[in-house]
Amino acid sequence: MLLSVENITVRYGRLTALRNFSLTMEQGETLFVTGPNGAGKSTLLKSIAGVVAPVTGTIHFHEQDVGGQPPEGIARLGLSMVPEGRHVFGSLTIEENLILGAGMRRDKARMAENLASVYDLFPVLSERKDSHAGVLSGGQQQMLVIGRALMTEPQLIAIDEPSLGLAPKIIDQVYDTLTRLRDERGLSLLIVEQSTTRAVMAGGRMVMLRSGELVLEGDARELSKGDALNAAYFGFEEH
Amino acid sequence: MSTTKHPSVLAQTVSTPVILIGGLALIAVLTWAFGSNIFGRTVTEMFIRVALVVGMFTFIGNSGVISFGHAGFMCIGAYGSAWLTIPPMMKKVLLPGLSPMLANAELTFFLSLIIASLFAGVIAFAVGLILMRLSGIASSIATFAMLAVINTIYSNWGPVTGGTSSVVGIPITTGVWISFGGAAAAVVIAYLYGISRSGLALRAGRDEAVAAAASGVDIYRERLIAFTISGALCGMAGVLYAHFLGVVNPDAFYLGVTFISLSMLVVGGMSSLSGAVIGVVLISAIIELLRKMEKGITVGEGTLSLPNGIQEIAIGVVMIVILMFRPGGLTGGAELSLTRTSANDGYSKKDQGSGNHPDNKPRR
Amino acid sequence: MTAVLQILFDALSVGSIYALGALGIALIFGVMRLVNFAHGDYIAFCVFAMLWPSLDVVAIVFIGNLPWFLLIPVILGIGAGLSIISEILVFRRLRDANPATMMITSFALGFVIHNVLLMFYSSRPKAINLWSNLSLPVEIMGARIPLLQVITIVMTIVILLALVTFLRRTQFGVEMRAAAEDFTMARMLGVKANRVIMAAFGVSGALASCIALILATQTGVADINMGLPVMLVAFVATVIGGLGSLHGAVIAGFLIGGVSVLLQVFLPLEARPFRDAFVYSAVIASLLWRPQGLFAPKSSKERV
Repeated sequence: MLLSVENITVRYGRLTALRNFSLTMEQGETLFVTGPNGAGKSTLLKSIAGVVAPVTGTIHFHEQDVGGQPPEGIARLGLSMVPEGRHVFGSLTIEENLILGAGMRRDKARMAENLASVYDLFPVLSERKDSHAGVLSGGQQQMLVIGRALMTEPQLIAIDEPSLGLAPKIIDQVYDTLTRLRDERGLSLLIVEQSTTRAVMAGGRMVMLRSGELVLEGDARELSKGDALNAAYFGFEEH
Repeated sequence: MSTTKHPSVLAQTVSTPVILIGGLALIAVLTWAFGSNIFGRTVTEMFIRVALVVGMFTFIGNSGVISFGHAGFMCIGAYGSAWLTIPPMMKKVLLPGLSPMLANAELTFFLSLIIASLFAGVIAFAVGLILMRLSGIASSIATFAMLAVINTIYSNWGPVTGGTSSVVGIPITTGVWISFGGAAAAVVIAYLYGISRSGLALRAGRDEAVAAAASGVDIYRERLIAFTISGALCGMAGVLYAHFLGVVNPDAFYLGVTFISLSMLVVGGMSSLSGAVIGVVLISAIIELLRKMEKGITVGEGTLSLPNGIQEIAIGVVMIVILMFRPGGLTGGAELSLTRTSANDGYSKKDQGSGNHPDNKPRR
Repeated sequence: MTAVLQILFDALSVGSIYALGALGIALIFGVMRLVNFAHGDYIAFCVFAMLWPSLDVVAIVFIGNLPWFLLIPVILGIGAGLSIISEILVFRRLRDANPATMMITSFALGFVIHNVLLMFYSSRPKAINLWSNLSLPVEIMGARIPLLQVITIVMTIVILLALVTFLRRTQFGVEMRAAAEDFTMARMLGVKANRVIMAAFGVSGALASCIALILATQTGVADINMGLPVMLVAFVATVIGGLGSLHGAVIAGFLIGGVSVLLQVFLPLEARPFRDAFVYSAVIASLLWRPQGLFAPKSSKERV
């Protein structure tokens, strides 16, 4: 098992963002986490990345307990996080942004190799490698942060709302890239999206959260056939 | 009908100032009954500091903006009262540059207290018109710059302020009871402002800036009101201080007092009125205790005493330790109260840190 | 012409000290959102370190008597060490705290350092005879400029260039810049928080020692209050430069140095005592004009 989240509860002050939530992922799997605004999706990712600490429950990555590990420790285990809003380092150049991801592997040759492969994947980054990352468009920034995550040589990339604020055409490109990475490199992907559309399009397993709790789990395409998806998403009572 | 179900803010929270003033009154009574002269002076100084820190709280606590400038208003109040109360004969010699009206004035202490405090408030209002446009750290730096400007002016405008040398001849009127009155008045005013429309709006803006702005809170206006009131209160503390020592000089109202009073506020818990009062009382008590120990305490046959200079070092260490273990200050932003429901009115998440991961730095 | 040159050198050398101070404050602010008020006391501590181990009224210089190529690294090490120790003992526990709490804690720490110095050395300034021959003037294009001014300016430029190279050319430097911009994101990429913060404190402390060396040579005295004015101006420079912007802090430091020297020269005689009031009014004006600072990084938002 690659990732296993067991019964975690996360609170911000008096607000409970995630309640008794569990989840498992296998190597090479793509898992979509969907749900309406405020469902606790980002909180889930932040707890996995070690940015917020659950009050109860455990998180294992590669059978190793990562509870209490700082974010940098978890990153070093091979879990790369692409948070919501992308978070490029605007005052660093594009190449510096990428190199940053390679910092924990002190291996110059491998770094150069990875850099070349990222540039290969996203030629536009290579063309502008010495300009500041702040000047990139939203779509290019999304490519940069995916490339930066790849530089850490991760086994699992957790990515929060990759389609946020992007034009539909660009979203297609982003998803093409992600699918390619999954198919060609066997990367495991944990993708958070508000809407279920992408999950249904891409296929694979999906879990849905609402108000901090798991409401639905299963194969995205199977779930999309009935009304269950909408019912769960909007919280309709079943008749 | 609904008023019976929902008691007013006043009814819910009035126990806080009552408890605080009651506590201070107890100290005053005990001092009056048992304290020595010297102890009386210590307590008087503490009450003045309560007035000052509560004045600072009125702005800093409600707005969440750290101000480094309030010692400036203390300075303005103190000198204002010096101009109004020093006998004209002395003023002709000491401060030849005063306008004839001021030069001939010789007001009573209470009249001067009111006028000089209001003067500090007016200056705060005028400065606030400009400074309150800023927020966050820019605003803090601007208040510091204002303090530096005030200090430079008062230190160099010899004919009017006596320059860096001390201005003497201020009637000494502040004792335990008057300073207690000042502290109590400051607590009442700060409390009334806190439950006023403006105070509530300002605190809403402190905790949820966007939401408050969206519901029509004019943060600039509310900050200006708070800044003016707190300027006047600090001015009053300055007047009390001037009439406590009988002497003023500009450096008494500069960085030293700024930092020690800010420290008292933060150690107590800067977002609650109780925190402001408790911070002053506690730190003053620790300082006094250490001072006593420096002089030596009799243990059996001999005396134990701390080496000179340890007192300051110890107070610094105590402050660091308190803040390390209670980053939100001793009260953590809560108010002292008899009813539990009103206990967390001033409660602010920001003061508690994120409360999440020990190494997590929440940033937006 | 020579007068202009003289003013220029004055402005640059005053500005150099402010710039180094602002840089020291900005470095720590960048990675920790901490305005370190103890910085001025680090400076004073380093000055007095040159008197060690003597506590005498007439200071017998021990470390201060070391040859310069030993003295400089020793003092830099002391500054860096003091700063790193304060990170480990005090500030590490406060990483979650709000900026006001951190600020007041740093002030309390400065207060402690100040009073430790006071206890050992008293408040009377002491003479330090450090490289006094550097005060001799040299002639540059007809103007007589104290050699020390030239050295101060050159040293500042060298330090700044070295720092820029470090920040741009090394992996560690890139990590520090990234951490200054978005600490959590940097950590999620494997950047070690403790290491970066400690390095920032180390460099900042070393910058404080540079100021200490310059001030001690310039004034020839050791005074426990000598760090404070530099720290205050540096603090202001950091903010008007744009918090989180290192080059902004440096430029603003030079700017404030320049403005104060120019005001000193050009203000009418009767207004000259009020020079600082003009300087600080200019500071307020600058903040009103650009509240985010003159050189705020694009991505930076108000966080305090």
